Amino acid sequence: MKNRVRELRTALELSQGGLGTELGVSRQTVNAIEAGRYLPSLPLALRLARFFDTTVEALFELEAEDER
Amino acid sequence: MTTTRTARRRNLSVAAYLVLGAAIAVAAWIGGSWPLAVVLGAFYLVTGGVLFWWAGRSGDVAALLRASGDERQRMLDLRATAVSGLAMGAFAIAGTVVQLARGEDANPYAWVCFVGGVSYAIGLAAFKLRG
Repeated sequence: MKNRVRELRTALELSQGGLGTELGVSRQTVNAIEAGRYLPSLPLALRLARFFDTTVEALFELEAEDER
Repeated sequence: MTTTRTARRRNLSVAAYLVLGAAIAVAAWIGGSWPLAVVLGAFYLVTGGVLFWWAGRSGDVAALLRASGDERQRMLDLRATAVSGLAMGAFAIAGTVVQLARGEDANPYAWVCFVGGVSYAIGLAAFKLRG
């Protein structure tokens, strides 16, 4: 699943560790989310969207193989 | 999670590790192998101290000790535990089969299989109820 987390984070000139601190997760988790290796839970996805003042749908994009 | 709660959980995890190490060392002593008991006791004491110190400085080590950890670290721990359980279960089943084929007593492999099967069924029922 594609996401815009890295794009929005770098636009704020925030480090992965800094974003992790804001969201209460580790830097490694932020890295895994940005790289698409980890899908955040719904509460974390909502906190991410709220932090970037956007919606979950705008932040995460379903890819063809994710569609059912 | 607050720093105090994390510190408390770290203390509990290390204490549990030391108690387990002490039990193993005492068992070795009771079994008559006092040099092994001393070595094991020292090993658990030293590694317990290292883990306590390291967990205070590394979030990953703290997560391994279950003193803290975000959702992804908890998921990794859960998956690793499942793989470990499957490996141990497979080993117990293989041991049971080999012992039976040899015409020998299948214990303790059979007991391990029994405990594994019952705990799996109980876990499944409990988590289904919780939703």
